[in-house]
Amino acid sequence: MSLDGVRILLVEDEAIIAMTAEDMAGALGCRIVASAATLAEALAAAERGGFDVALLDINLNGVDSLPAAAWLKRQGLPFVFTTGYGSSGRDPAYDDVPLVTKPYRLADLGAAIAEALGR
Amino acid sequence: MARLIREKDWAATPLGPVPSWPQPLRASLSIALRSATAAGVLWGPDLLFLYNDAWSAYLGDRHPGSLGRPVSEVWADIWPALEGQFRRVYARAETVNAVDARLVRSLGGRIFDSYWTYSLLPIGLEDGTVGGVLAQARETTQGVVRARQDHFLLELSEALRRCERPAELLDAALSQLGRHLGAIRTGYGEIDPEGDRFRILACWTDGDAVDISGEYRVGHFHGAASDPMRSGRAVAIEDGEAPGVLSDDARAKWRSIDTRAAIVVPQMVAGRYSAVIFAHDRAPRLWTGAEEALLAAVNDRLWQSLSRTRAEAALRRSEERYRRIFEQANDLIFTADVDQIITDCNPATAEALGLPREAVIGRSIREFVSEAGFEQTTRMLRQKVEHGGTTRHEIEVQRADGRPLYWEINSALTMDDAGRPIGLHAIARDVTDRRRAEERQRLLVNELNHRVKNTLALVQGLALQSFRDGRPAAEARDAFQERLAALAVAHDLLTRESWEGATLAQLVEGAIGHHNEAERRIDAEGPEVTLGPKAAVSLVMALHELATNASKYGALSVAGGRVILRWTLDGGDRLRLEWREADGPGVRPPERRGFGLRMIERALSADLGATVGVDFEPSGLVCRIEAAPAGRDS
Repeated sequence: MSLDGVRILLVEDEAIIAMTAEDMAGALGCRIVASAATLAEALAAAERGGFDVALLDINLNGVDSLPAAAWLKRQGLPFVFTTGYGSSGRDPAYDDVPLVTKPYRLADLGAAIAEALGR
Repeated sequence: MARLIREKDWAATPLGPVPSWPQPLRASLSIALRSATAAGVLWGPDLLFLYNDAWSAYLGDRHPGSLGRPVSEVWADIWPALEGQFRRVYARAETVNAVDARLVRSLGGRIFDSYWTYSLLPIGLEDGTVGGVLAQARETTQGVVRARQDHFLLELSEALRRCERPAELLDAALSQLGRHLGAIRTGYGEIDPEGDRFRILACWTDGDAVDISGEYRVGHFHGAASDPMRSGRAVAIEDGEAPGVLSDDARAKWRSIDTRAAIVVPQMVAGRYSAVIFAHDRAPRLWTGAEEALLAAVNDRLWQSLSRTRAEAALRRSEERYRRIFEQANDLIFTADVDQIITDCNPATAEALGLPREAVIGRSIREFVSEAGFEQTTRMLRQKVEHGGTTRHEIEVQRADGRPLYWEINSALTMDDAGRPIGLHAIARDVTDRRRAEERQRLLVNELNHRVKNTLALVQGLALQSFRDGRPAAEARDAFQERLAALAVAHDLLTRESWEGATLAQLVEGAIGHHNEAERRIDAEGPEVTLGPKAAVSLVMALHELATNASKYGALSVAGGRVILRWTLDGGDRLRLEWREADGPGVRPPERRGFGLRMIERALSADLGATVGVDFEPSGLVCRIEAAPAGRDS
């Protein structure tokens, strides 16, 4: 399972965590091609495209990122949820979307990206 | 009787010898003698009395002495009442018929009422004048007295039924009884359970006699004469002054209350001498069996009515007590029928629902709860009907103004005498505050969990950045520890402000204060600005990285180097912050940007929505930050 060259849209509001994700993605052979820290930025970046998979933080500084998830789902673009909350209380419409909880483990992040890409 | 008349020597009397008696006398007498009821002939101007066997029974020991005597002598006691009637029969040849006529007898020193149904018929002579009177009589005293007593008891029962309080009841019964008997005093007393004291609860008098209400020892008025009452027998004393009837002590007491005759009838309850009713008279009086029976009957009714009114009064007091608890309780108390229609509720319930009580009563529980809530109450009701006991559940209740309330309801069924459920009674407590607190707590725990996870992710990031490949381990460890300390400072500040945010001055002091401990090397100044939690953490981390960088490579790495930190607010909502190093070593842009600068640029741009510029001017590093103070999403 190789994730070499996979292009990632990173949606994460916490700078240090974003940097962590960036480093981990690099370790997995992926590249962060776009970053967003708010819902508006996330929607704009998603529309611009140019990525293979999105890492989407469910909560962006208190704002629910589900509108971005809905958009990605409609476009058939693969994505992974990231969250500091547990996995309970999720919208059942997104049951098939992989979830990575913070703090990340490199292996979990890689497996989730691979699952989202159907690899 | 006929023989007695025949054999009597009439020659010496005004009637003369029997053969000389006129035909009408003989004929009338013959009829009278053959009559089965009391009958007699009164003959001549003196109305000499000839009577049959039945009549002789009425005369008692005055027979046969009364035979042939003038009626004014035989019936001396009632003659004043009868004389006019005889005169009418004589003078006008009229017949007199009387039914249950009252005649007050006075015989053997006793005066008593008697009642008679009688007729007086004129006996005509040949010349058309009246020669005598044919009399027929029947004493009806017993029947009349019984009828009057029945009537009296009926009226008494009627009166007692209307009374609600024991005192009213006693007044009514004793006054009616006293007037009926023509007594001077009547009273009712109860004997204490030990049987040695009694209390006259009520006393009626004719107005002249003294009231003897009060507490006495048993035997106070009668001495030993009252002993039969202990076993339920009445005591009737015709004349207390008669020798041997009363002790000297008792007689003195009777005199002091102007009493010579008394009748006392005890009431036995469950075999115990419990109460007495009595009547007194000022003069000697022969108490009849009928009067004793009447007193016993009144006693009985009085006892029952007293028991009823006392029980009712106790019930009223008890009801009043519970009504007060019901009215004043802070808990919500209500009742409903089996169809869950509210039948009563206390003021607390009405107030909680925001409605007047009348507007709650009569409405269905359904109107105050959701459809699911009503299913719940119905399920609870069914559970009680099927399995008995009580139920306890929490339910959302809708106030009149639409506000939701949470009630914890405890309820049980109300049964009829046959044990069938006829409704329910419930006590509820408003647990809205508790529910809200629980909900809030749940959110807080959830939020705490999120923050801890987030913080752990931050620590993870700091660790990864600090322990990068190729960095000396000791240096990496120091960097990591410093960063953790900076993160802790930010959290401390936020915790102190309940995570509402912190002022910029506080954050600056927290982040770089330790560099100013020996001498003031970082000169910070600016207006008061409050930053949101996320922006606060980022800014502390950024200032930490700037100060660390300055200590290693910049102004703070040499003696005399300074940092000037200034911030301003433009138009109240735009924060400009400048970190300017001075008097340090000459600087050049580094070949590779370390974590510190990367973080400053990223973190501040992400978390503060800031634009960040880092310039390496000859005088030293200058970092300019422009941001919205609360963070961009707020």
